[in-house]
Amino acid sequence: MEEHTNILLIDDDDVFVEAVSAVLESVYRVRRAANGKEGLEMVAAQRPDLIILDVMMDYLSEGFDVARTLRNDTDTATIPIIMLTGVDQVYNLRMEVDESWVPCERYLEKPVAPVELLQQVAEVLESR
Amino acid sequence: MKGKHRVEYLFASELFGRLVWFVRLRWLAVAGLGLASLLGPSLGVHGASPALLIVALFVGAANLFFTLALRRRKRRELPYDHLLACALRQIVLDLTALIVTAHFTGGLQSPALLFFAFHMAIGTIILPARMMYPLAACTSVAMFLVYFAETRGFLSFHPLDPSRGMCGAACHFNIAALIFALFGVVALTDSVTSRFKKRNVKLWDTTEELKKRTEDLQRSLEQVETVEERKSHYMRISAHQLRSPLATIKTSLQVLTEGYVDPASDRGRKLLQGAAERVDELLATVNDLLELAKIREGLKCAPWAESVNLNQLLADLFDALQPLAEGRSIRLVPSFRGVCILDRGIPPDLVYAFENLMENAIKYSKEGGEVEVRLSREHDRAVIEIEDHGIGIPPGFDEEVLNEFVRAPNARHHAQGTGLGLAIARETMEAHGGSLRLESREGEGTIARAVIPLHGGPPESPETQSESHPQSED
Repeated sequence: MEEHTNILLIDDDDVFVEAVSAVLESVYRVRRAANGKEGLEMVAAQRPDLIILDVMMDYLSEGFDVARTLRNDTDTATIPIIMLTGVDQVYNLRMEVDESWVPCERYLEKPVAPVELLQQVAEVLESR
Repeated sequence: MKGKHRVEYLFASELFGRLVWFVRLRWLAVAGLGLASLLGPSLGVHGASPALLIVALFVGAANLFFTLALRRRKRRELPYDHLLACALRQIVLDLTALIVTAHFTGGLQSPALLFFAFHMAIGTIILPARMMYPLAACTSVAMFLVYFAETRGFLSFHPLDPSRGMCGAACHFNIAALIFALFGVVALTDSVTSRFKKRNVKLWDTTEELKKRTEDLQRSLEQVETVEERKSHYMRISAHQLRSPLATIKTSLQVLTEGYVDPASDRGRKLLQGAAERVDELLATVNDLLELAKIREGLKCAPWAESVNLNQLLADLFDALQPLAEGRSIRLVPSFRGVCILDRGIPPDLVYAFENLMENAIKYSKEGGEVEVRLSREHDRAVIEIEDHGIGIPPGFDEEVLNEFVRAPNARHHAQGTGLGLAIARETMEAHGGSLRLESREGEGTIARAVIPLHGGPPESPETQSESHPQSED
């Protein structure tokens, strides 16, 4: 069942994406997008079971905008999102207008140990 | 506000208040005169009553006019000079009324003489002494004339007690005492009030000075806070810029060491190569951060500043960057008009800045394109323009990208960079008293325009000023 689970990885750091893909591919099917726009197109083309999303890409809070777009669309609102980002949560949230709403299921700070990442992904998928 | 204007501004409001008080006080005098005219006959004084009543009515009417005139005006409306004239008119009226009263109540034997001193004191509180001394002199002369006219029979004599005649020789003492009292009261009152006035002016000056200093301090504090905020933001962004590649390196190495990918496989090699690239990025960022720190410290003092030939500096850079340009089949075109020599400049910083600008032009040009570097002299300034026909900068980013760690989205996809190069170039130009601006159209190209004053240079620190002066004397 798990190898049919589809994860979309949206991050602009190609080396990081390569490394994380290698970890996730041991269990799941992984697709990659290098920025928010590409990511949204890929979601529209094929609905993923989980999205792993970076925050700072082409601009400072692109990840948040992507997450909001997904949550505001009834077709994609229920797709779980894990934020995986280099900037700490407090600082990131301060840049946001609405601090009370984090549009994601989990917020992880880079770097994340492979075991930890697999565990977090499994937990989020289970609680779906 | 200085001198006369300041004093006038300060005392106008006070003078207005005193005038109001003075007008109220006069109602007491009116009442006193009226009462004296009514009670006079029952106390055995008959002749003065009608005259006192007339004076009371006259003063009362005048005072009604003053009261209404003051009420019509608002405190701030009246200028100081106007208020002074107003006060002077009232005191002249009072003194005239008093002279008439004195004449009808026994001339130099009149009990009303006591009120002259009273009026002089009030007058000196309200008016400056330079106005009151002439008034005292006029009053003295007027009373002397009344006395003279009464003794010579030009004016009738109205003693309070008809059984007694004129005082004779004693009146000479009375007139002398009156004159002495008039001037004495003015002098004494003036010495007291002028001290208060001076103190008021000083207090006002001190308050103004304090206000100004408080404002200055507030401004400085705000500046310090802004700088602190900027510093803290800069440190956070810097830390993030260092942490991102470190996180990638760590994850890549963990994936390899924990056996998710075989290091000897193609994927393993790719990850190792990627990690190595990130290490290079880290080094470049650290070097640029150090360069930026150096420029910022150099802003404060630059003992190593020297004369810089910009033509030579740019020509050397052409040679140094030729291989990079050739690698992308880009033609470097120099266009120098005139010779630009800076009096004081920091050569390594300028080299670093122009190298960054020229490297950007080459990096973001389309392959086979052309980069033109123009140098010209406009008045006392060197103008350097570096023009490429590359990817350009999206609208809204041409000022932003001059800040630390800001890269335009199209630049990120196009080439590697620390995001510090333009910030370094801008700060270098500013440290040399100049500026850096970008003019760009996305997809068409960019012109980086640097302007540096030839005779400006980095600000000198107090220690280096004395050292640099002998140069200018040569």
